[in-house]
Amino acid sequence: MVEAVAALQIQQLVELLAVVSSLPDEAAAVVGAAERAAQALEAEVAVVIIDRHIAAAVGFPAEELPEEELFAIADRQLDKLSVPDVGDCYAIAAGWAGAHPGHLVLARYDEGFSVEETNLIRGMARLLELTLTMHRTLAAEHEMRQRSERQAAENAELLASLQQRQRLLEHLSGIQRAISLRQSLPEILESVTDATQDLLGDEIVALWLREPGDPDRVRLAAWRGMREEVARRLAPVPLTEAGVAGEAILADGLVTNQGQPSTLTVDLVPGRQTIAMAAPVRESGVVTGALLVASCEPQRQFGDADTQTLRAFAEHVSLALTDAKTVDQMRQAYHDSLTGLATRGLFLERLTQQLSLAAREGVGLALLFFDLDHFKEVNDTLGHAAGDQLLMTIAHRVKEQLRGSDVAARFGGDEFAAMLWDVGAPGDGFAAAVADRLLAAIEAPVPLGERAVRVTASIGIAYANVGETEPGPLMRRADLAMYRAKHGGRGRAEVSAED
Amino acid sequence: MSHELNTADRPRWMGVGRSAEQDSHAAAAAAARAAVVGADPKLVLVFAAITHDPAAVQEGIREVVGEVPVLGCTTHGEIGPGGPLDGSVTVAVIGGTGFTVTSAIAQQVSGRQREAGVELARAVNRADRRPYRALLMLTDGMIRDQETILRGCYSVLGASVPLFGGAAADGWRMTGTYVMADGKVLTDAVAAVMIESDAPLAVAVRHGWRRLGTPMIVTGSENGRVLTLDDRPALDVYLERLGAPADAYTDVNAFVDFALPRPIGVQRRSGVEARNVSTEIDLAGRTIGGGSSIDLGGLTWVMEGDEESILAATDAACRDVREALDGREPIGMLTFSCAALRAVLGDEGIRKEGAHLEEAAAGVPFAGFYTYGEIARVRGIDGFHNQTLVVLALT
Repeated sequence: MVEAVAALQIQQLVELLAVVSSLPDEAAAVVGAAERAAQALEAEVAVVIIDRHIAAAVGFPAEELPEEELFAIADRQLDKLSVPDVGDCYAIAAGWAGAHPGHLVLARYDEGFSVEETNLIRGMARLLELTLTMHRTLAAEHEMRQRSERQAAENAELLASLQQRQRLLEHLSGIQRAISLRQSLPEILESVTDATQDLLGDEIVALWLREPGDPDRVRLAAWRGMREEVARRLAPVPLTEAGVAGEAILADGLVTNQGQPSTLTVDLVPGRQTIAMAAPVRESGVVTGALLVASCEPQRQFGDADTQTLRAFAEHVSLALTDAKTVDQMRQAYHDSLTGLATRGLFLERLTQQLSLAAREGVGLALLFFDLDHFKEVNDTLGHAAGDQLLMTIAHRVKEQLRGSDVAARFGGDEFAAMLWDVGAPGDGFAAAVADRLLAAIEAPVPLGERAVRVTASIGIAYANVGETEPGPLMRRADLAMYRAKHGGRGRAEVSAED
Repeated sequence: MSHELNTADRPRWMGVGRSAEQDSHAAAAAAARAAVVGADPKLVLVFAAITHDPAAVQEGIREVVGEVPVLGCTTHGEIGPGGPLDGSVTVAVIGGTGFTVTSAIAQQVSGRQREAGVELARAVNRADRRPYRALLMLTDGMIRDQETILRGCYSVLGASVPLFGGAAADGWRMTGTYVMADGKVLTDAVAAVMIESDAPLAVAVRHGWRRLGTPMIVTGSENGRVLTLDDRPALDVYLERLGAPADAYTDVNAFVDFALPRPIGVQRRSGVEARNVSTEIDLAGRTIGGGSSIDLGGLTWVMEGDEESILAATDAACRDVREALDGREPIGMLTFSCAALRAVLGDEGIRKEGAHLEEAAAGVPFAGFYTYGEIARVRGIDGFHNQTLVVLALT
């Protein structure tokens, strides 16, 4: 089993997000963030510093807060913090700039902070900054609304801008929810580009992402306001030809350009682009793309509010990308990447678990082992790609023949296994009937390109004995039965002689 | 029963007494007499079965010890030398010139958990203090979100003070638990006592659960309840993963029987924490939850344990606490185990657990009870646990 370290990092970021975005005001959000950060990192101390003031602190008695030391940690002049009766703790800080600069400071006794944890803390600091910006905007808007009732006309313009901020908040929390709920990545990316366009009001929005196998090239992952047929067919382009987006990726910073549009832009944009701005997006801290906004309006300029909005959306893309990668890695650890069936490790774990349950509850359990006859010949004559296609099709057919309570696995190569739950006694013939269905499903022709290939399988069946909880002997019996099936002429199933 | 040690010339001592008498007053007095094994008693802790009258229990103790703070609660079984008992009064007394204790009560805690924690910590946090301290808390087991009470304490005391304690139980009746303090019988309350000592003390916590299969992500949660796991109704996902019998899906009692020994595991940096999901059942809404929250986005597992794994955790907790004492011999231990573990261990299993504790104690007096939640903050800021054994050792 894989220790899902990366999964834990993103889980904690998502938890922090869920907690701080649910809190009603800035003060509560700051305390919530400090406590949640301490909890996630099992740190004894967590402090939020904003505008050189301690906005929240946990881990010290209120009257004993060592302000000078905490500021020194924020300034990277100290990396240890002495906590009374605990001892010297490892300390770390992550900061943010902007109108209200601040730091998240953590200190832990038992162990220093790993590289992954340092990244996590940076992510938490960025999230905290975003949340605080939201709360301030909301508070300002609330105040303005009250005032605007008295001075409606004068404030019309300001109110419009505040309403825009309100929409930003709504969009951002919508995206946060989508990430927390783990909606599909393309859907989330689409909603980010939609929201960016809605909010900034510019014609063109594009999300460029680096090619996983070729980081010097980027592809369009989501877009608005571009020529559909060109955008859809566009092959990955070198970073150096990707205009402002490419520059933002290479510079790892925000880039604005009012110069001549690139050839690529002329092809993609139905109109004459006059200005573009791009912010980098990251996956697990590494720059993996850029979010771009562009306009064809001759008078369009990007102000501070526009910059901040674009950055906020780019941060959310980063969060979604990191989250998606982590979920994917977690899945891969337990599931065969080709067929999506359980891996050997997961299968054995489930088998052990179900055997003890079967023994306790007196439920019948059967194990099927099978491999494909002459699979190697398919691989050798039609190539590995065809072999892979064949395995995927067979895996799909196997799954179709099983119930939700059964488990199918690929052990590697062309070896498969299935655990059948609640099969009654060996004499009932339930497992043999399932094996016959599997044989028929596997033997149906598999279309591979221009041809159709037929393969057969040899299946060994073994029933768990009453009270048997060890998977080893059961697997050995299923294995032996499979060999008997093979030597008996292939394309058939054999029940273990010992059952 | 009494466990006599030669404490006359020791600056710090602990004694434990137990009585199975049915009369509450008499049982408490007998247990207290057996537990006072030295001069200058400072604190009495009493763990009484729900069948006893908590007021009479406190009177019985008062008669023996006089004006010494008495804190206690009702249980789902009492732990001590000679094995676990149901229906007893078990008393631990600490005393000697080397201890100072300061106690406080918070009442009407529900809905203001954090404030109550702050209040308690402020009340017991003396400026002029001895070098080693631990805050011991006994809470009404029916209070929800007890983690927040601890957060309140932590905000005042910081990392310097270990937190330890347990939530009162009521013999699985689920009708109401009682906290005893200052002669009062309290509900919706927390009694806390700061134990200050000239010598080190140590806290340990362990559970004996292992995770099964693949993790599940909390995709929906509200008010501390898990609505969905991997985007499907949480209750169904939980039962399916564990291959639950059909009646657990539809029958409350069958669900309780099934869920009690199978907590949900929540991934934390240093391991997986167990969360009991057998107490607040929602067959209509298909959600799961217990007294403590499981957050949105969290990584969770179904878990299973057996007698062997739980007893291994008992041994490990006792080993941890001794290691933390760095070779110092304890004068006594408090051992709080979870009421839900009884469902896995059975009567024979808890006798074995008692024997393991007795062996680990090696002649040192120990006392505790089966709780509705254990408190032990040893690292980080969290300290409220489910289905664990927590140990406090005094030296």
